[in-house]
Amino acid sequence: MSVCILGANGFIGTNLVRVLAARGADFRCVRRKTSNVLALRQLKAKLVAGDLDDPESLVRAFTGHEVVIHAAGHYPRSSLRPRESTALALRQTQHALDAAARAKVKRLVFVSTMATVAARPGGLSDERHRHAGAPGFGTYHDLKWEMETLVANEARFETVVVCPGACLGPDDWRIGTQALLLALARGIDPPHPDGTINTVDVRDVALALATIADLSGPPRRLLIASENLSLHAMLAALCDRYRVPKISPPISADAARAIADAEERAVDGTPRRAALAREIVDLVVHGVAVDATLSRRVLGLRYRSLHESLDAFDAWARRMGLLNPPPVPETHP
Amino acid sequence: MIRAELEGKVLSLISQLSTLKAHELRREQRLREDLGMDSVSSMELLSMVAEELDLDISVEDAAGITTVGGTLELVAQHYERSA
Repeated sequence: MSVCILGANGFIGTNLVRVLAARGADFRCVRRKTSNVLALRQLKAKLVAGDLDDPESLVRAFTGHEVVIHAAGHYPRSSLRPRESTALALRQTQHALDAAARAKVKRLVFVSTMATVAARPGGLSDERHRHAGAPGFGTYHDLKWEMETLVANEARFETVVVCPGACLGPDDWRIGTQALLLALARGIDPPHPDGTINTVDVRDVALALATIADLSGPPRRLLIASENLSLHAMLAALCDRYRVPKISPPISADAARAIADAEERAVDGTPRRAALAREIVDLVVHGVAVDATLSRRVLGLRYRSLHESLDAFDAWARRMGLLNPPPVPETHP
Repeated sequence: MIRAELEGKVLSLISQLSTLKAHELRREQRLREDLGMDSVSSMELLSMVAEELDLDISVEDAAGITTVGGTLELVAQHYERSA
């Protein structure tokens, strides 16, 4: 099975490349002219030029591959311009779908998000629970729902939608999901709302994607998550791990949205990012507990524990200078 | 390639990703605070340099670079090693 990866230099993508390389798989990574490909070069991955805004380049990149793994869905840096962000996201998704059809790709595996999963009253949500329309929680949720819908309605080839939870682990250069974690580990008391998050080790997401690429007759939609946790309870429990003072109680959803919106306006037009991102607030506040039994069963995965993921994240963050080395234990003569 | 030529090439690449022209760059300038880069674009810079000069710069080495001078030193070290 020959695989072409979009977003190979990202958080999930880099881990996927590690898995495919370890399996000796036949794969190629699409890269933009300015992509950071240091990790991919170290892994000796084959690179091919391509850009989601250049449909012809995608056709060239996809040709000769049976499977495309699309881990480069638009992630809005800001929620301030929802129409423009959604239009860009849909245009790029359509380019990828059309290119896959023209290149005669057999299967496209699309990395979506838990933001598209609807709550199930009185129980855990699973693959059947999806918002009936754009949920209206914020730019990120609406845009991701629109993209997933476009992919799910594709009829020219097989599509599989993968919805990973909050990914933890190594190679998170953009420090998205793990920004709160890093702030806490650095001794900052991050203002945060409370709600349900579904944690998952990014290496397990990578394993899931690599397995789906090869799987005969996979489900059309799969949730990839390990644990359902309260964000505040998780952060509070991690204070001991990072030897930092106890964090403040969570703030209300409205207060969190107000902080995130103000920060977005303050950093708009600069390369800086909001310390509390609006999409993180929305993901937490509207998070739903999920049952990922289907992915465990179909893919034969044993999801790693939260602490295994954190150990890997800490080791990576220390190697990259994002976290200080652990204190040396005191020795007594 | 002589050192001055190598540095000229690297400064040209830095200027492509920053708000300054190559002749305005100084060794002590910080990639983020002075040149308007973020963590992502500073890594993209090292990646572009590695590809342009065919150098095996590791992610770990690139992550430690914060200034124009640091970039020039890292590239010079790798270039000499590969020569």
